[in-house]
Amino acid sequence: MTTINSQGAATTRVDTAFGTFQVAPHDVIEFPAGMPGFEQCRQFVLLSSDELAPFQCLQSVDGPAASFLVIDPRRALPDYRCALSETDRVRLGGTEDDALLWAAIVTVQAEQTLVNLRAPVVINPSLMVGYQLMPSNSLYPLRFELTRLY
Amino acid sequence: MLVFTRRRNEAIIVADGIEIRVLRVSRDAVRLGVTAPPDVPVHRHEIYEQIREENCRAAQGSAGSAANVPEALVRIRAGQGGEG
Repeated sequence: MTTINSQGAATTRVDTAFGTFQVAPHDVIEFPAGMPGFEQCRQFVLLSSDELAPFQCLQSVDGPAASFLVIDPRRALPDYRCALSETDRVRLGGTEDDALLWAAIVTVQAEQTLVNLRAPVVINPSLMVGYQLMPSNSLYPLRFELTRLY
Repeated sequence: MLVFTRRRNEAIIVADGIEIRVLRVSRDAVRLGVTAPPDVPVHRHEIYEQIREENCRAAQGSAGSAANVPEALVRIRAGQGGEG
């Protein structure tokens, strides 16, 4: 469903596991490689709400519906620093590292909350392009238990 | 599947400029060298699989676990020792 928001932009309703959001065309982030397991999903939106904060929802808007809960990895580990490979830099458009957005995928279970710090999603907001990194030599865990926020 | 026999120092070319060369062969391992353009990612298969499985678990879980999110947020915001 398309509606017009207060700024006059056409927005589309996106239903996720974490609520309903309105997104505008300029909110769409291209994932040229999709994500492992969701290779057909090439367009995502990163959705925020007060209820979800500090989590956000990374939701596909094409291909099969894929809905991920994500968090800035530095909220889980303040000194988190994942090196970008030359390939990552080229594919992200060669921007300054400080300008990139980082989103680690969260799995919420009944008793624990796990964060994938091994393979973070990185977005270049100026190009609206994103990739999930797959560092071959990362020491960060695939399933980091999130017990506190920084 | 295309199947090749290659000897040490022989290579195959995939698409434009991706070269996979046999560097060393031992009894149960082959050492390969991959030369690819800078925008072409090269991963060990098992690393990709591991991340794919974790993504599928996270996405499948997200629908079922949405109800758990408020409680999880309370837990981590309380920080089991305090935020910050």
